[in-house]
Amino acid sequence: MSTNQPSTALTSRQQLAVVVVAAAVVGAVLAPSVYAATNDPEDTVAVVEIEGPVNTALADDVESELADIRANDSVGAVVLKLDTPGGAPVASERMYKAVQRTSEQMTVIASVQSISASGGYYAMAPADEIYVLPTSTVGSIGLNAPAPRTTAPVQGPSGPDKAGGNAIQTWAEQETLADTFVDAMMAERGDEFQMPREEVAQADVYLGTEAVDNGFADEIGSLNEAIHAAATAENMGEYRVDTRETGPDFGFPILLRTDTQVVAVYANDPGYGEVEPMGLSYVHRPAVPHVDTVERFSESDLAVDRGGSATRAGGTSNETARLTGGVGA
Amino acid sequence: MSDATKLAVAFAVTLAAITGGAALAGYVTADGVAPSPEIQNEHYLEDDLVANDTPGQANVEMESTARSQTVLVDPGVEPRGSVPATPFALLGFGGPDVADRDVRPLANALIENGHEVDVYVPDPEQQRRAAGPAGTRGPTQLGERLAEADAFVTFRTDYDEAELDEIESFVESGGHVILATEPDAAFDQPGAVGLDATLGVTTEPGYVYNMAENDLNYQRVYAEPTGDADAALTEGVDRAVLPSATPVGTTVAGSAVLRPNEGSELSTTRAATEAPLLVRTDGVVAVGDSDFLAPENARRADTDALIGNLADFLVSNDRTPPGPGGQQAPTGPSGPTGPTGPDQPPAEPPENGTAG
Repeated sequence: MSTNQPSTALTSRQQLAVVVVAAAVVGAVLAPSVYAATNDPEDTVAVVEIEGPVNTALADDVESELADIRANDSVGAVVLKLDTPGGAPVASERMYKAVQRTSEQMTVIASVQSISASGGYYAMAPADEIYVLPTSTVGSIGLNAPAPRTTAPVQGPSGPDKAGGNAIQTWAEQETLADTFVDAMMAERGDEFQMPREEVAQADVYLGTEAVDNGFADEIGSLNEAIHAAATAENMGEYRVDTRETGPDFGFPILLRTDTQVVAVYANDPGYGEVEPMGLSYVHRPAVPHVDTVERFSESDLAVDRGGSATRAGGTSNETARLTGGVGA
Repeated sequence: MSDATKLAVAFAVTLAAITGGAALAGYVTADGVAPSPEIQNEHYLEDDLVANDTPGQANVEMESTARSQTVLVDPGVEPRGSVPATPFALLGFGGPDVADRDVRPLANALIENGHEVDVYVPDPEQQRRAAGPAGTRGPTQLGERLAEADAFVTFRTDYDEAELDEIESFVESGGHVILATEPDAAFDQPGAVGLDATLGVTTEPGYVYNMAENDLNYQRVYAEPTGDADAALTEGVDRAVLPSATPVGTTVAGSAVLRPNEGSELSTTRAATEAPLLVRTDGVVAVGDSDFLAPENARRADTDALIGNLADFLVSNDRTPPGPGGQQAPTGPSGPTGPTGPDQPPAEPPENGTAG
């Protein structure tokens, strides 16, 4: 190409201007996402579900979800969606610690659905606010335990406390477990409770309407209202909701109580390994159905009830029951 | 530098400046994740959080120097097909929670001081005979055993009419009776009112608890002597532990011996209660608990002293047993003559105790 040829070609200065403008346009397109990647606006309210009996699997999930939320800059607030009668002491404490740590960092609001009692109450106590519905149930701050019994000597163990022990020692251990729970609740909500420690330790439960009055809860409100309150507390204009399911995939375990203790049942047609006595538990006992009130049913039974088959076989085979059976309260 | 290179550099510099600026702006304005603060949960570290689990010491001592007396214990064992041969070893079989060891501190104190302790276990064979031909009513099994006894300790309430009459005449003849009842007696034991009326005592439905000051559990209340309490029963007792107590009373004024400590409440009313937990009329002590006699509970507070005092109460009676046949049975250090103690035939121990 000759340079003296009259043409419409741009001068180098013009070329430079075009390139700069092009770069500016591309940059302007990229800038928001680059900005977002480095700035991460906190525009998400995470809803963490705490539902069903409090056990290790649930605590595992809640702990890891909350750890993830704390590390995720886009989450600005957390709402705990609770529906649990409580459960194992250690699992309750683990969730308590996780919620406490999260609450130090961002707004955490607990939203109680039908019940959050005992271990469930323990877990949500560090929340900034507790939302309840008018007929939600909260409370039951205490230990559920059978009376310690003396046992005949068992020969074989290397020490007297290896198998069994002394009834007074067990009473003392239970007292310590109960006090640990009550003390933690007094530390978290002692200023809110409109009653002395002794009355809190009675382990009563309260309906939502009563709970907002006596300090066991702060506000009457639904899950959505709790989410909105959490977003508002963190000055989010527009926000997204990210719901995080926790706990086992299926509904197990279910809790049942016998005359003396609470057991966790891990299968529809449980074998020996699938029934786990809980012994000492932070559970609201009346919320747990008694084993006598639970009967197993199978689809064929339901068919009979509907007037299907007139003659009933001598009994549903175990195989059938295992395939189609269920436990209903 | 060629034009093309110059243009490429210009493009790159401009783009880098804009995106880099955006990144810098984002980084600078980002809130950043502060490291999690250390969380101190002081409430887990308080000195008094861990409850004292020292079982304690018991020393059940009697002061009475009375001659050898026979104390009959009715632990409430149901008559069964095969009755345990050695009643003490197998007490509690089918009964309401009272096993051999549950009365050991009291029984041992009596035995160590030279007294006889008999245990009443109904014999189903005899019971059938008694229920057989009508009109020939002799003493009941319990009556026969009471006739040989100076004192009577019962954990049971469901006596029939004839037995209640015999208990009444036993008291009238100077025998001393301890009725140890439980809050749940009101729920699962028939006939409690009949026995209460016979002995002139009352029990109140519900249990006493204390949330503020208790022995390791709200139901394990401390019982303290009342101001005008029977000195013999409260000697050495600042407070005793009653693990599940129901209020008791009498129609006689000044009969209250032990009351629950301050702050105690009644389950049925959830209100403060001062109703006595141990009362005494002349020959009858009613206590709203039976678990306090068990070895581990005897070691709590001054419960051991209370048990010793109750043992003294049992043997300091005015009764002279007429003996099984109605004649005066000679009683001395050797105890009553004739068939002493349990006379049931030996039998296999039960395979599974249903009590407990």
